[in-house]
Amino acid sequence: MIASFIPILAVDVLGSVLMVVIALLCLYKARILRAIDHDNAVFLYLLWISTGFFIFAVSRSFGHILRQFLILTSNPDVWSAISSYSGSVNTVSFMLVGLITLFFNQSWNINEKILSSRKKLEETHVKLVDLNQTLEHKVIERTEKLTSSEHKARRIFEQSLDTIVVTDEMLNISEINPAGVTLTGYKKDDMLANQMGLKDFLAHGSEWERIRDLLETKEFILNDETDFLRPDYSQIRVLITGGVDYGAFGCGKTFHFIIKDINDKRQMEQQIAQADKLAALGELSAGVAHEINNPLGIILGYTQLMLKEDSEFEVDLKTIEKHVKNCKTVVSDLLSFSRKGSLKKSRVDVALIIDGVVKFLDNHTDFRNVQIKLELLKKEEFMIFGNEQELSQVIINLMINACHAVKKDGTIEVGTNNDSSNQILITVKDNGTGIRKKHFSRIFDPFFTTKPVGQGTGLGLSVGYGIIRRHGGDIIVRNRKKKGAAFTISLPAALPDKSIKDPMDNLVSG
Amino acid sequence: MAYKLFLRNDMLKPSWHSIRKLIDFLPATIVAGVLLLPLDAHATQLHASLEGIITHQIGHLFFLLSMVVLLFTVSDKGLDKQKGWRLIQYSAFLFILWNLDTIAAHFVDNQIHVVKIENISLTQIRVIANNNASFLAWFYYILKLDHLLCVPAMYFLFKGLSSLVNEQKQLSIKKDLP
Repeated sequence: MIASFIPILAVDVLGSVLMVVIALLCLYKARILRAIDHDNAVFLYLLWISTGFFIFAVSRSFGHILRQFLILTSNPDVWSAISSYSGSVNTVSFMLVGLITLFFNQSWNINEKILSSRKKLEETHVKLVDLNQTLEHKVIERTEKLTSSEHKARRIFEQSLDTIVVTDEMLNISEINPAGVTLTGYKKDDMLANQMGLKDFLAHGSEWERIRDLLETKEFILNDETDFLRPDYSQIRVLITGGVDYGAFGCGKTFHFIIKDINDKRQMEQQIAQADKLAALGELSAGVAHEINNPLGIILGYTQLMLKEDSEFEVDLKTIEKHVKNCKTVVSDLLSFSRKGSLKKSRVDVALIIDGVVKFLDNHTDFRNVQIKLELLKKEEFMIFGNEQELSQVIINLMINACHAVKKDGTIEVGTNNDSSNQILITVKDNGTGIRKKHFSRIFDPFFTTKPVGQGTGLGLSVGYGIIRRHGGDIIVRNRKKKGAAFTISLPAALPDKSIKDPMDNLVSG
Repeated sequence: MAYKLFLRNDMLKPSWHSIRKLIDFLPATIVAGVLLLPLDAHATQLHASLEGIITHQIGHLFFLLSMVVLLFTVSDKGLDKQKGWRLIQYSAFLFILWNLDTIAAHFVDNQIHVVKIENISLTQIRVIANNNASFLAWFYYILKLDHLLCVPAMYFLFKGLSSLVNEQKQLSIKKDLP
């Protein structure tokens, strides 16, 4: 059969060229796939198979084109010589493609495992991220709570009016709040630098042994009363409660104390006790004075009757009369201390009373060497409702006592002031010897005096106390920081409207 | 030599132990060589010229089978639903046909030699079939146009890969979207 060679030649040559070109394009696409996902085993497989096809296409096309060329150029012998090699290479190339192709299933399975692992990894990652976020939220929440709690604790510590002290195992101060600094009078830095402890505050050394024993045996102390000595040598009565804290999170053993200042409370209790005592004494004095006053009146009356006639006992009778009069004065004072009768009261100016008293005492010989300083405020608010003579008597008594205390070249300061509770304050201060501590509790007692016998009856302050109490006021005594004593009288200010009945009327007339 | 000396892998290692074993075998080997007086055994096999074409045909069969395996594996895994893999399946199918074509062509001209071609001129050939069987001659002529199968097969492979590349790019764009 004779046929055209052109179709075979054209298909063979063009097909060979196209095979190489398309195989090259396949390789290019496979490389793109591989670049998109390096971990994909199927894409790696496609790259391999494309490479195989490219080798196959090149080897085959080379053989075909060369064959056509050699036959057309009448060199069939040359082709016969190399055809075996070309065919062998071609055989190897498509066997290689076949071999690679058989690995598709394995590549697919490997890829499935990779994808499955990747999915699990992503799920685990999402869970981990979620857990991490939850953890972060919890940490933030706990931190906020902790900060809030710490802030509250810090505010309690800083703002507490009671002293809060934290000490180490050796009872040396490691923390103290501002109230503690105020109470003890020491600077915080000094306390920490000098490793001060509770024992350094105690006024009595023996107290420390007792407190330490309690802490060692019971590991706590509850409402223990003791005195603190401040740097200015003033003493404060305090109530200590404390206990041991073995700590947490690796903290060492510490002691926590709460110390309450009960000085004012104790002073008030003492004042109340004093007032009760004086009230009882007043009752007693009134009874005694009343019983003595009548016989004294009879004795004085008969003595004076007898003195109207000439008598050989005239001198003796005058002595009796003199001492009976002295007795009546004492009885009168006692009655004044516990007076129950009605008094004439009116609105009086405190400044005028003090002014009158000072003018009166200026002429007294004892006051010639004493300087009197006045700090009087003349205001409407400084009017009180009371008996002018009695109030004058109180101030005179206080100034005479001050004069005796300062002796020569002393200074007595008299001043007025008012406080927020509508009380008028009258202060009599001196720079004398002051009052001994042991005398404070007895200073307003009737017949108590530190003066030599015969120089004072011991009724001046007690009478003054009685008068002030009847006016609804109070007297407080204290030693001045520098030198001397200070008496402070507090009286309720009179109401501006005269028509309003004074609330103290009942007290005074009682 | 008519006998072979088999050595274990560990004996091939250049260790003192393996050298000792070789030395132990040496006297026995010399004695055996002298006693048996070996003759030539022609251990290297001679290959007839037909072996080449049979090897080539086996290669085509192997290629064909691998394409069949690929075709069915793609179907089994349900990948033929994707355009790219479906095109690769077409490619495999065309390569199967191409292999059948070439196997048939090699069989008639190289194996059983029932057909041969003679160049008459640059544009004409004579296909000589046994017994002047024109059907066989025309059949062989068509078989020689095998590039009409392998070039489309390669083109489908290219299109399949292109389709897979496009799919992957679209997936990447979707992933990048918020």
